[in-house]
Amino acid sequence: MNAKRIAVIGVLALLCLAAGAQARIKLVALPERAATVIRLDNPNATLIEEERVLTLQKGLNKVDFSWKGVQIDEDSIRLESLDHPGDVTLLSISYPPGEAALVWEISSAGDFAETVRISYLLSNIDRLITYKAVANKAETFVDLKSYLVLRNFSGEDFEKARVLLDYGEAFEQGIDHEETKQMLFLNEPNVPVRKIWTFDAESLPWDPEQLNNQNVGIPVSYEIVNSEENRLGEFALWGGKARLFQQDGHGSTIFLGEDNASLVPVGEKMELYIGDSRDIVVTQRKMQDTQINLRKNNDGRIVLFDTDEVITAKIENFKDSPAVLTMIQHLPGQWDMEQCNLKYTKKDASTLKFEIELPARTEKGPAVKELTMHYHRRNVRPGQ
Amino acid sequence: MKRASAILMILGALGATATAKVDLTTLPSRDTVQLTIYNSADMTLVRESRALTLKEGVNALQFSWENTLIDPTSLEMLPKAQADRIEIAELVYPPRVRNLGLWNIQSEVSGPVPVEITYLTSGLTWRAFYMGTLAQDEKTMRLQGYVRVTNNSGEDYENAQTRLIVGKVHILDEIAELAQRQYPYGRPGEIVPLPAVPPSTSRRAFGMMPRLHVMSEAAVAKPKEIVKEGLSEYFLYTIEGTETIPTGWSKRLASFDVEGVPVVNLYKYEEERYGTRVVRFLSFKNDEAHKLGQTPIPDGSLKVYRSVDEQKHLSYEGQSAFKYIPVNEDVELNLGAVADVVVEPKLMESKTENYRFDNRGNINGWDDVQTFTVEVRNTRDVPARIEITRNFNTVAWDLRRAGDETGFEKVDLNTVKFTVELPAQSKKTFEYTLTAYQGVRAEDWTRRSGRP
Repeated sequence: MNAKRIAVIGVLALLCLAAGAQARIKLVALPERAATVIRLDNPNATLIEEERVLTLQKGLNKVDFSWKGVQIDEDSIRLESLDHPGDVTLLSISYPPGEAALVWEISSAGDFAETVRISYLLSNIDRLITYKAVANKAETFVDLKSYLVLRNFSGEDFEKARVLLDYGEAFEQGIDHEETKQMLFLNEPNVPVRKIWTFDAESLPWDPEQLNNQNVGIPVSYEIVNSEENRLGEFALWGGKARLFQQDGHGSTIFLGEDNASLVPVGEKMELYIGDSRDIVVTQRKMQDTQINLRKNNDGRIVLFDTDEVITAKIENFKDSPAVLTMIQHLPGQWDMEQCNLKYTKKDASTLKFEIELPARTEKGPAVKELTMHYHRRNVRPGQ
Repeated sequence: MKRASAILMILGALGATATAKVDLTTLPSRDTVQLTIYNSADMTLVRESRALTLKEGVNALQFSWENTLIDPTSLEMLPKAQADRIEIAELVYPPRVRNLGLWNIQSEVSGPVPVEITYLTSGLTWRAFYMGTLAQDEKTMRLQGYVRVTNNSGEDYENAQTRLIVGKVHILDEIAELAQRQYPYGRPGEIVPLPAVPPSTSRRAFGMMPRLHVMSEAAVAKPKEIVKEGLSEYFLYTIEGTETIPTGWSKRLASFDVEGVPVVNLYKYEEERYGTRVVRFLSFKNDEAHKLGQTPIPDGSLKVYRSVDEQKHLSYEGQSAFKYIPVNEDVELNLGAVADVVVEPKLMESKTENYRFDNRGNINGWDDVQTFTVEVRNTRDVPARIEITRNFNTVAWDLRRAGDETGFEKVDLNTVKFTVELPAQSKKTFEYTLTAYQGVRAEDWTRRSGRP
């Protein structure tokens, strides 16, 4: 069960002189694995470093390193002599046929009990990050917790190892084959969040009335900035599944939603889509679309024209609290705005972004804002 | 009783990891349990409180969930007292055992400690449905809302505080799938399944097996109240007191009951959407004027009945799917096509005029002029409002209206709407003439309309 699957065997020098490495005779007691480090700073691969004491004799030594039931990237294996780096030289590495093993040929200037560090990339052992955030009732702050999940399916049991991430202190942890361990490693209360509602005219239906008995959900997200002002900013936040909860004011919580966070470097924003709001309703319609400034060829056929277009959007807030709706509109090609009653910023040549402040609903009804965009697309060719 | 349940055990762990499950000291049962059930996804947040007896030093606590639908990655335990002296160091999912987790707890406290354990489970669902009863004159309606909670989770929840969430929650994985994984977090290199598909109907179908006896038994002298409040983008319904819903059972509870909601009999005619038949709607508003408006109304289905006489006999009018209705929003309930209100548009005249020719003598512009007569008949013994929507296939048009009423509403660039109010057993006729401009005539129209 607990058998070590990675073994190092020192082979007496001179034994295999001319015969090549045919019947390899494995001698000498197994050197015990000492300080082991599991490095998880690279999300794509896990580096194992282990120290072992090799009994080296003066002259040529052969050391056999073999593994079974585990996956080691052969080309990643390194050997570092720690006690007598000047007097111990690695001469060559050979791989016996059909075996998960290699043989180091080491030249030693004396009889040493040499501590060496062996490092290699081991497959099927990694870590995940998950987040759990609990928002206050007003949704202005979250208590942010992050868990490190160690998964070991490598085939090797690690009784005790130092585990290193790309930040923070190393910690001691043992983990057996097929074991999963979840540890709390970040617990930051009162991290400010911003709640965002987004209507993108390209991806959401324009006229809810046309959808028989279906609500159009306006996506709602939380934005967390990984910065010092926000009690974070010490290190990049790794990507992982984030689950969001909210305090309900009765000493309990409700689950708001979950999203996959991507890696967030220091100073950048994490945006987590939690769910859809059905209390903000956008009804967008095209009220006018005609061709003007017609240019014709000799046959009287239109070859170039501009357009005269009007789009209106009614935004209703049925919530009992105010909200800021981010509205994204798309105007392809060359265009200019004749008149627009709300302020916008250009995100790029064809994307307009509106930040529309919506008060809470009143007793009379929902808070309503209307957007009217009167614009021209310029130099359009027929069929375009 | 409990055929499958989440079991907690404290292990007297001397060393560090307790792989050998020995020294069972206590088996605390749940003190209280709270269920928060979602309906946009197959998901329930369970919060239970238990009293643990801890020793000073390292304690290992075993939690197992065989035959349940718990998502193990959602498990969390929090001490509710002396939290600063109790450190929940890690949660271990040991090798070669399924449905089991071990909490390693570092405690400076010796003695009983209240803890709260939360997790997500699947198998508990709820849905809303409604019954409407129209008064004989169809001017008002009694609206009754119900919720129905179904437990197929594999776990019996006794005396649970039950809460329901109205709203659309974004989730990545189905809880039922997470619950069935061999390893809670999967294996490295395993492909993470794609975002959830809508919940399968099979479980719901199971939950809809007839349970009429149960319901009538559950109807006690005084029905329980449901407290409603808004939280984030959702609404939280808290059912008064506690509920016991054994696995496999479901329960129907009254959510609200409002008498005398004023309604309008609304009929719609739009060939492009409904064909040539008139579709009946019931229209009202989720506001105070309609004796509603306290909270949004969650989506569900509505069955509409009508009182036909003084003996409280009913007739069944139809069924409608009900979408989520925010506070102050208008509601239009589609009750299906009817034959007792008729809209007949007739093309009475069709002509072309104002031809234009290019330099070579070919036609490059003209007007299509069409005159329609629309007859609207209400054969019912109650008044009706009828909305007639007409779509055109051009954006350059003018419309003139004549007849009993004039006026129309431009809905968008090529759609207009006529609204006709009809008393009981009456008819109206109106006429409109649509001029559609083609070719260079459309250019003239654009210029005439005073546009740049």
